[in-house]
Amino acid sequence: MLKLDRITKRYGTLTALDGVSLEIAPGEFFGLLGPNGAGKSTLMSLVAGLRAPEAGHITLDGRPVTAADPATRISLGLVPQTIALYEDLSAEQNLQIFGELYGLRGSDLRARIGEALEAVQLADRRRDQVKTFSGGMQRRLNLVAALLHRPRLLLCDEPTVGVDPQSRNAIFDFLEARVRAGLTVIYSTHYMEEATRLCSRIAIIDHGRIHALGALDELLARLPFRDEISFPATPATAELAARLAAHGQVTRDGGTHHFHPAAAFKTSAFYTLAESLSLPPRLFVTEQPTLEAVFLHLTGRTLRE
Amino acid sequence: MRIILTLLRKDFANFIRDKAAVSLTFLVPVALIYIFGQVFGLNRQDSGPTGIRLAVVNQSDNPAAQKLVDALKAEKSFRVLTHRVNADKSERPLTEEDLRPMIRDREFRFALVIPRDVIATRGFGLHLRILSDPRNDIETQTVNGLLQKAIFSNVPQLLGQSLQAGARKYLGNPRLDQFNGELAVAVTRAFGGDVEGTKQALAEGDFGLGALRAAGQSGQQGAAADFFAKAVKIENEQVVGKDVKSPEATRVVGGWAMMFLLFALSHSAAAFFEEKKAGLFQRLLSAPVRRAHILWSRFLYGVLLGLVQLTALFFAGRLMYGIDVLGNFGNLVAVCTAAAAACTAFGMLLAAISPTAAAANGLATFLVLTMSATGGAWFPVSFMPEFMQTIARFTLVYWSMEGFSQVLWAGQSFLQILPTVGVLLGITAGVMAVAVWRFNRGAIFD
Repeated sequence: MLKLDRITKRYGTLTALDGVSLEIAPGEFFGLLGPNGAGKSTLMSLVAGLRAPEAGHITLDGRPVTAADPATRISLGLVPQTIALYEDLSAEQNLQIFGELYGLRGSDLRARIGEALEAVQLADRRRDQVKTFSGGMQRRLNLVAALLHRPRLLLCDEPTVGVDPQSRNAIFDFLEARVRAGLTVIYSTHYMEEATRLCSRIAIIDHGRIHALGALDELLARLPFRDEISFPATPATAELAARLAAHGQVTRDGGTHHFHPAAAFKTSAFYTLAESLSLPPRLFVTEQPTLEAVFLHLTGRTLRE
Repeated sequence: MRIILTLLRKDFANFIRDKAAVSLTFLVPVALIYIFGQVFGLNRQDSGPTGIRLAVVNQSDNPAAQKLVDALKAEKSFRVLTHRVNADKSERPLTEEDLRPMIRDREFRFALVIPRDVIATRGFGLHLRILSDPRNDIETQTVNGLLQKAIFSNVPQLLGQSLQAGARKYLGNPRLDQFNGELAVAVTRAFGGDVEGTKQALAEGDFGLGALRAAGQSGQQGAAADFFAKAVKIENEQVVGKDVKSPEATRVVGGWAMMFLLFALSHSAAAFFEEKKAGLFQRLLSAPVRRAHILWSRFLYGVLLGLVQLTALFFAGRLMYGIDVLGNFGNLVAVCTAAAAACTAFGMLLAAISPTAAAANGLATFLVLTMSATGGAWFPVSFMPEFMQTIARFTLVYWSMEGFSQVLWAGQSFLQILPTVGVLLGITAGVMAVAVWRFNRGAIFD
C-alpha cells in the first residue's frame, strides 16, 4: 500500500531521515518506535505530503505522494502530535469544518459526525466548546477528526501524549477496532508499551535511520539474551553490578539496574553471585525482555534519552 | 526576601530572553518618539504648516495687490498657485471660475481672490475673498490665521489707497491734488523732508498706516488687529462640505476608524502563529487544502471583518454624532472595502515577515502608531515637514482617510473616488504579493 524508497530529508545541516525504506501492507498496524528527535514526525509529515524529501520516493498505491495530488490526500488522514482543533468552536463545528474540507456535505456529513462522536463517547458534549474538554477528550476528538472522511491510511503522530490511562485505552480500543475493519495505521510513539500492545510490525528508528523492522517476536529474537534481571541501584548492589558487567550488559535507568545476561551465563550463576555478596533474592526481578531492551541493544541508549 | 529576589531575577531573565519584549520596551518607543517628533515638528525652528497649496487669483492691477501675492509666495506655509496647466501643457493664469471646481476636485483646499474692486470706492476699506474646503478643522483655522497675518502685514498701502480713492470720489482729482499738496507741505514743515516726495507717497496711499503694524508687533496688537479687522472685509466661502450635517465628527471619524481597524487586523496576524502552534496548518494541509487556500481565505476573512467593523463604526458615528453615512452609502462601502483590503494585506505581511507572534505584535504596534501619525489620523499632514508629507502618501492611513473624506465630507461620486480606491487596491496588491512570497519562503507552514 505505502512504499518509502530510500527517503532522505535534511533541515540545514541536520539529516532528519537518512535513506529510510519501508513497505506497509493494507490493514497493518505499523509502529514507529523511537525517542524524541529520532525522525518519526518528519517521516509522518513526508508521508502526509506536508514536506518533500531531498531524495527518494514515497508512493501510496503506486501513486507518488505529493502536496498537489488530491487523490492521495483523500486516501490518508493525519492525527498531529498537537491537539489541532479550533478550541473556541464546538466539537460538532470542528468536525463539520474538517469534513467539508474533504468534500463531505449535508446528511452524509451529519451522519458521520454523529457516528464519530458516538465512537469516542463525546456525543453528549457535541455542542460544547473544545476548550472546555479534558485533555483526553480533546485527544479523542483530535483522532476522529482525521477519520471523518474514512481514509484508508491513518497517520498517528504520538496521539496519546499527555493523555490519562482511561482515555489512552479508549483510543487504543478505537484504533484496534478500526484496523480490524480494514484501516491501515502508522503509529509513531516513544512508548514501547504502546508499540507492544498495538503494532503488528514495528520499525525502530533513531537518528533518522531504521535500526530494526519486524514483528515484536522478531525484534525480541534479535537480543542475545532471553531474560532481564532488574535490581535496585544502591551502594549495596554496586559491586554486583560491577561484577555482572563481565557476564552480560548492565545498564542503569534511574534507581534501577537492568542486567541482560550473555547467552552462556546461567540465571542460577547470577543468584549464586548475589548470595556470595549477601544480597537477598527479594531484591531481584526477572522479566522477559522488552522493546526497550531491543532499542538499547541496537542504539546503545534508552528511549527516554 | 530571598524568594522575592529569586522571582525578580526570574522575571528579568525572562524579559532579557524575550527579544520582542525588549524591543517593545526600548527600541519601539525611542523610534516612535523620533517619528512623532518629526511629525509634530519638535525642535524645529520653523514649526507650523509647510507647503499648503493656496491658489491666488489677483484680479486687481494695483501694485500693492501684487505685493500681497508676492508676500504670500514668500510665506513658507503656502505653495502659491497662480497659473493652471492646460491640456496642451501650456499655462494660463487662474481665474475665479477655475477655483471652485478645482477645490471640489481636491487640487487645493484654499484660494484667495483679490478682486478688481479690492479697494472700496464707497467708504474706507478693502475687500478680499477666501474660498476653502475646510475638511480639516485645525488646518483651516491655521490657514485662515496665516492668511490674515499676511494680508494685515501688507494692507497698509492698500488702505491708504482706499483713503485716496474715497477722497477722489468726493473731492475730485484737482481738489485731491491740492489736498495732497497742502498735506505734504504741512508734513514736511513739521517733520522735515521733501515736499514733492511726500506728495507722491501720499498719492500712492502711504499715510503711515504701516506704523500700526509696528505697533501691533510691539504689544498693541489688539488695537491694530481691531482696526484691520474693521478695515479689511474678508468674505469666506466654503466650497466643499457646506451641507455636512455633523462637520466636526465627519472630519475626524475616518482617522479614528482606520486606527481601530489597523489594531483589530494586526491581531489577526498573531492568529497565524496560534494556528501553527496548534498544528492546525498540518491538519489543513494534509487535507485537500493548499497554502493558497489558507492565505486567501484569511485575506477574505480580514476584508469582510474589516468592512463590517468599519460599517459598524460609521453607524455608531451616525447614532452618536449624526454623521451622514447613508447619503453616499455605496461609495462609503467601496472605500471601506478598499481600506479593509489594504489593512488586511498589511496584517498578513506582518505575519509573513515576523518569526513569532510576539514579534508580529510588536511590529504591528510600531507600524500602526507610525502610520496613524504620519498618515494624518492624529494631526494634519500639512503641518508636517515636507519630507514627512511625502512619506504620508505611502501610507494606507493617508489614502483611506482621503477616501472617507471624499465620500463623507465632499460627497464625491464613484468616478471621483475611483483613483483613491485604486491606490488602496494597488497597495493591497503590492503588499499581498510580498506577503505571499514571504509565506511561501518562510517557516509558518512547516
